[in-house]
Parts: sequence; C-alpha cells; structure tokens
Amino acid sequence: MLQEFLKRFTGQKRSSDEAKQRLQFSLIYDKLELNDTTLTDLQTDIVDVISKYFEIDKDALELKVKNDKQVSALVFNTPILNVKRKRE
Amino acid sequence: MEGKVIVVTSGKGGVGKTTATSSIGAALALEGKRVAIVDMDIGLRNLDVVMGLENRIVFNIVDVVQGKCKVDQAAIRDRRIDNLFLIPASQSDNKDVLTPAGVERMAKVLRQKFDYVIMDSPAGIERGFENSVVSANEAVVICTPDVSAVRDADRVIGLLYARSLEPKLIVNRIEPARVERGEMLSYKDVLDILSIELVGLVPMDEKVLISSNTGTPLVLQNDSTAGQSFRRIAKRLNGETIPIEVPNLKPSVWTKLGKTFGLK
Ligand SMILES: Nc1ncnc2c1ncn2[C@@H]1O[C@H](COP(=O)(O)OP(=O)(O)OP(=O)(O)O)[C@@H](O)[C@H]1O
Ligand SMILES: [Mg+2]
Repeated sequence: MLQEFLKRFTGQKRSSDEAKQRLQFSLIYDKLELNDTTLTDLQTDIVDVISKYFEIDKDALELKVKNDKQVSALVFNTPILNVKRKRE
Repeated sequence: MEGKVIVVTSGKGGVGKTTATSSIGAALALEGKRVAIVDMDIGLRNLDVVMGLENRIVFNIVDVVQGKCKVDQAAIRDRRIDNLFLIPASQSDNKDVLTPAGVERMAKVLRQKFDYVIMDSPAGIERGFENSVVSANEAVVICTPDVSAVRDADRVIGLLYARSLEPKLIVNRIEPARVERGEMLSYKDVLDILSIELVGLVPMDEKVLISSNTGTPLVLQNDSTAGQSFRRIAKRLNGETIPIEVPNLKPSVWTKLGKTFGLK
C-alpha cells in the first residue's frame, strides 16, 4: 500500500502498464510480418483496382508496411501519369 | 456417445500445460467422467511422474500408434481416482515418429472408450504441436502473466483459429500482491490483449510443486488454491456455468487480528 502510494507520488510508472502497451504493439507488428507472396498478391490486386481510374507507373510504385511506436500503416506509393476518363 | 478430445497448449514452455492437464483430467474423473490423459511430449515424458504412475509403464503412445499394442494395454489406471487413465509418452523416440494421421487413428479409438481425452501438448509450434491438435474438438490455451508467454499464446491462438478451433484461456501463476503493486499484468490486461473466452484463473501456489514431488493429485488437496481453481475449470469445461473467481490477496495479519478481536 505504502509502496504503491510512494510510486504514485513520485510519478513512477507501473511496469505492468508498460508491459501491456508493449505487448499490444508487438502483436500488431507480428501480424503485419506478411510473407512475400502475400505482399506481391496484394500489390497486383491494388494495381488492378487503381488502374481502373488512373494510369500509373507500375515500375515506380512501392508497397510497404510501416511501423513506428504508435501506429502501423500500409503505405502504397505510386506516381500518377494520367487520370482516365470515366466511361458510362 | 462419442467422447471429446481437448488439447492443452501454450506455445511457450514451462507455463503449466502438464500441471493443468493432469489436474483437469483428475477433476473431470472426480466429476464421474471416464478420462484418458495423453502425454504428447515425445522424448520428454513428464505426466507419468507428475501423476505418480512412473513405475507402471508397460507400453506407450508410440506403441499404440504403431499398432504394437491396444489402447487398453497402454492406458495406466490411476489407483486413487476412479476412471482416470494415462497414456504415457515414449522417452526414447524422436519426436517426429508420430504423424498427425497416426494420432488421428488413435484418437478415433479413444473417443469410443472415454468421455474426455486430454492431450498435453509439448512446447513449440512444430510437429509435436500439430500432432496434439490434429484430433482436438476443443482447445485450452494456457499462459502466465508475462510478455513472452502472452505473445506466444497469441501466436498459438492464431494457429488454432486457422484450424477452426475456438480456444479458451487459462491464466496461470497469478500473484495477486504483484498485480496490486503494478509489477505483474492483471488477468484483465491479458484478456484485453488476447480477447478470447476465459475459462479460469489459477494463482501461484506452493502446493503445485509439493504435489508433483510426491506424485499425488493436486485437485485432491482441499488446501491448494490452484487445485481448487482447476476443479472449477473442469466443471466449466464439462458444461457447468459457475462464476470465475479472481485470485485475491490473503487477508493481512492486521485484518486477521482485527477479526479475532471482533473489530471491523
Ligand atoms: N499455479 C502454479 N503455482 C506454482 N507453480 C506452478 C504453477 N503452475 C505450474 N507450476 C510449476 O511450474 C513448472 C512448470 O510447469 P509444467 O511442467 O506444468 O509446465 P509445462 O507447460 O508443461 O512445461 P513444458 O513446456 O516443459 O512441458 C513446474 O515446476 C510446476 O510445478
Ligand atoms: Mg509439459
């Protein structure tokens, strides 16, 4: 009790809170450790969809999973060469 | 009616699979069920000594799977608890002697003879794990409140889901005082992270080591908090709905003193 109070008082962090936070992050990170075929398949599918609307440079595009301390993101980067005209 | 195969698994080693398997098996037998406990840890057999049956091994699981003996010849009957049987692992074989197909064939026979078949999986996620889960109808994942055990549990849960099993969780070796001090993940933290159904919470208990020293069933000891937790877990696995008890701090000397003097 007293120990707990002193910790709160001195602003010391509970190590269990830190454990929880680190776990939550690493489990997401683990699941994003996709294998190469998944990423290649995903890239082909994305290119197909985007190509319906835009003309893109298929050689310059890049698909990456980015992780930092707060969030994980799927980043797809591609130069757009031309906007396709919509056909009815 | 066909029996049910339950696998107890964890990914990480040493978190309490063997303790849980022997205790839940014994508790289910005390509920009046016919139970076979199967040691799937080929090459590192343990359940026989934990259960105090090491002197009575004649045949083992590899003999059964390879057709060298019948299930009834390999199953050792516990003399203290009725309807409790152990099929021991083999100690000399390589862990790859068993194949999932072979284990599946054995499990078919076991389902005919027993109400519950409990498989004690080895640590890891390789062949031994595959063999342990191949015939499972239900899965129990056990972990302790530390980062590596929880992370491994998450991995194993993913593998079980991929086999259309919806595992239930046991958190073992909970130390209430350390949880209170913020030194140990609480069971709620673990549940938040793993988000699967909870089937029981087991406190750290000195009696676990003592009962394995002597090879006596933990669940027969009324003063074992872990043993009593496993008895409730067995009841839940057997379909009873009883509330989950959270391990809590023993009342301190001062509250005890207060009580004896009639103080609030
Ligand atoms: N609730 C508990 N309280 C105290 N000690 C425990 C508890 N649960 C397990 N133990 C101890 O932890 C150790 C490991 O337990 P156990 O052998 O059941 O783990 P395991 O997961 O089967 O290990 P392995 O992966 O090597 O097969 C043993 O010494 C056991 O006595
Ligand atoms: Mg074990």
